Amino acid sequence: MAEKVNMMNLSTQSNPTQSLHDEAHELRKEILEVLYQTGGGHYGGCLSVIDLLLTLYRTQIKCNPTFATHPDRDRLILSKGHAALALYAVLKKLNFHQVPLDQYADFDSPLEGHPDMTALAGIDFSTGSLGQGLSAALGMAYSLPKQVNIWTILGDGECQEGQVWEAAMLAGNMKTSNLKAVVDNNRFQEWGWAEIDDQIPPPVSNFRDKWQAFGWHVIECDGHNFDELIQAFQTMVEIQDKPVVLIANTIKGKGVPLIEKSPKQFHCNQVDQDEHTRIMQEYRS
Amino acid sequence: MKKLAEEVGLQLTNIADKYPDISVLDGDLADSDGAFYFADAYPERFLMSGISEQNMISMAAGMASTGKRPFAFSFAAFLCYRAYDQIRVSICQTKMPVTLVGSHAGGLAGRNGKTHTAVNDMAVMLTLPDMQVWAPADNDDVTYMLSQIMSYSEPAYIRASRAPIGEQHALGGRPSELRWVFPKRKINIVSCGIASQWSKQVIEQLHLQGCDIGLLHCLHVNQVEQLQDELADSEQLIVIEDHCKLGGLASLIQMLDIKAHISGFGWPISFCGKSGDDEQLREAYGLSQEQLVKAIIKLHFTNIKSASSKIVEQV
Repeated sequence: MAEKVNMMNLSTQSNPTQSLHDEAHELRKEILEVLYQTGGGHYGGCLSVIDLLLTLYRTQIKCNPTFATHPDRDRLILSKGHAALALYAVLKKLNFHQVPLDQYADFDSPLEGHPDMTALAGIDFSTGSLGQGLSAALGMAYSLPKQVNIWTILGDGECQEGQVWEAAMLAGNMKTSNLKAVVDNNRFQEWGWAEIDDQIPPPVSNFRDKWQAFGWHVIECDGHNFDELIQAFQTMVEIQDKPVVLIANTIKGKGVPLIEKSPKQFHCNQVDQDEHTRIMQEYRS
Repeated sequence: MKKLAEEVGLQLTNIADKYPDISVLDGDLADSDGAFYFADAYPERFLMSGISEQNMISMAAGMASTGKRPFAFSFAAFLCYRAYDQIRVSICQTKMPVTLVGSHAGGLAGRNGKTHTAVNDMAVMLTLPDMQVWAPADNDDVTYMLSQIMSYSEPAYIRASRAPIGEQHALGGRPSELRWVFPKRKINIVSCGIASQWSKQVIEQLHLQGCDIGLLHCLHVNQVEQLQDELADSEQLIVIEDHCKLGGLASLIQMLDIKAHISGFGWPISFCGKSGDDEQLREAYGLSQEQLVKAIIKLHFTNIKSASSKIVEQV
């Protein structure tokens, strides 16, 4: 399909004044405050995915907040749309929008409960009904020049959706090399399977093998180690013969021990003032 | 003669040079749903996306977000039901200009039987935001419909029946969103899709018996305001549709602010599809030409009941 790419005005949105670590710390704090102020939400998934989102935008995704719909920009689809607040926080930090985050999911707010491309600049595709983001990303990757990378972040629980594997199979068959998938592999879902022999089974068994069997190049790294993430994303971009998936091993609720210890409770939760105070104390310490 | 979806595939191929953004996806039914014309002529713009309608629909939406105009072909049942959430979320909520071409729409799926019928496809598609539902009845409709679809940027669903249609099936008159095939009268039949072919035949019989009755064919079913205007002064409306009686054209017309009494002929809610020839199926559910003529005379032309019995005898 189209082959000419106009890179003018497109670049990664690096931040020379702040480290990824400090920036992620700031965004996590903002997410925790906003979730408390707005009546709760997806603590666990927002905190597990934020390092992935931030690192991608700061080091790989070529875009421009001033030209948010530039046709040759890289795309990012947050297929696990329930972590919308994390995406909104990153996009705000990148100046895609200036909507106060405490308007999250309010009536008539562009910060819809799940990402809405018709409501907010910088959202490359609407998500929320799990399993559809990889397919939409595949459609984009198929249509756009190979130099344009299409990134999508899935949840590991989301990968129980059959549609994910429909897309994975076709992408593998077509060797769609500009399709880059990242799995926020926090190993928990909302309710999850019952324990077997005192072990909670992962959302998808033999996960790495499955992606490989579908014709994908598979990389794995610590999803909260910025050096590893930077290296992994760079490797993903350099792979040009087939689609590539990064299994980013993350911690649900990363950064707050109270939340990390109760991933099921904090998949989507509302906290009272005392709990919020404790969360913020733990976060600062 | 060709199935209507085949005519869509052929005419889409004929306009593809004019619209270089048109792409076609198909769920491995290209030889049955008409996509093969495009696949043969434009292989670089055709994607056999596998027997995976959910992925195909979201993928088409992703393509549309980059400026393409994807047409996704399959049987209506597999688009509307298997991929409904993908149509709802990836296409309608995003307002992506993806066109769904559903072949074998309605209750007549031949020997395929119940799994391949789509008797409430309009019900599920008309209730999606911004989804434009088109129900062509002849080849002229297909030409007009494709030009209209390409002139705007909205989600669209084409419900195409399996019945073969040829030049001899031209309804007559000028194709439009709504077309008076027989001039408006106090009593009018309203129909869409293949049922407009049925309706035309029914009215030809009725006219022979002196029954004065008009026929409005609805190609673009969503045209509620136009329907309101066209039907405002009717006294009796008879809706004939190859669709479940609930949720289709009759239900849409019942929403209008009009004074006319409305009676509807379609598949009963309990009908989940069945193998068989078109005529066998229609007769089994009171939708054959003779049954419709008789029923309409009984309902609306009581003064010529004797003529009714004559018609039945003739048939």
